[in-house]
Amino acid sequence: MERIKVSASWATNLYRGVLFVLIWWVLTDGVASSWWIGVLAVVLAVTASRTLVPPAAFLWFELLKFVPFFLWHSLLGGADVARRVFQPKMPIAPDLIEYPLRLPPGLSRVIMSNTVSLLPGTLITELDRNVLKVHLLNRNKDSFAELEAVEERIARLSGISLSAPRGGEESAAI
Amino acid sequence: MILLDYLSIALLIAGAFFFLAGTLGLLRFPDVYTRLHALTKADNVGLGLIVAGLAVQSDSWADAGRLVIIWLLVLLAGASVANLIASGALRRGIRMWKQ
Repeated sequence: MERIKVSASWATNLYRGVLFVLIWWVLTDGVASSWWIGVLAVVLAVTASRTLVPPAAFLWFELLKFVPFFLWHSLLGGADVARRVFQPKMPIAPDLIEYPLRLPPGLSRVIMSNTVSLLPGTLITELDRNVLKVHLLNRNKDSFAELEAVEERIARLSGISLSAPRGGEESAAI
Repeated sequence: MILLDYLSIALLIAGAFFFLAGTLGLLRFPDVYTRLHALTKADNVGLGLIVAGLAVQSDSWADAGRLVIIWLLVLLAGASVANLIASGALRRGIRMWKQ
């Protein structure tokens, strides 16, 4: 048990280290003389990130599927909003809906609310306990199902299964 | 090479179109919530297309990587600030516009 924990912790350090090395390389154009401070920066960044963002499961393969989903939906939604804006009548029908989250508290919820806000047509106004208040630019009958689809994608991204029952009493854990 | 230039031009014009739509939305939309919709759109899609159009022209992978990092940072800032403004507006009791 203890050994698994330790190896998982080292895997986290390794992944994050590789990520920060990559960022440093990009920022400095890979200039060799920058690495003496780059290595220090990477070590500090890994240390800081471990305090700020606790190690979490993360599936690279799912991320590869999530990126095209995000880009495609951004483009679709963006075109839809542009179409509404350019029409003289401006056909919008804003509404505020409540969406009970199935994702557990933590990083995955942050990813969820940022993704929903970035996807055109939806905007998170508030996270009240387990209920996400979502402002819609144009309400339609599919809005709720679309939010569910995004949530399921993010759950898969972090290896979480959304088995919590729908509706009924929501737990009050934050 | 000339093909890349055309791709660049198409992406940049598409990006500018979404920025125009975002700005128009900011001016035309009726309340703070709908205006936030317009802003996050320009950030996400418009800047994304402009970054893609510029990345096509970049000389090295590092240059393209820097452009992508700029886009990701703007996305993160845009989403967080939009959430903060919207929740602030809701807490102050600013009503949303309805037909």
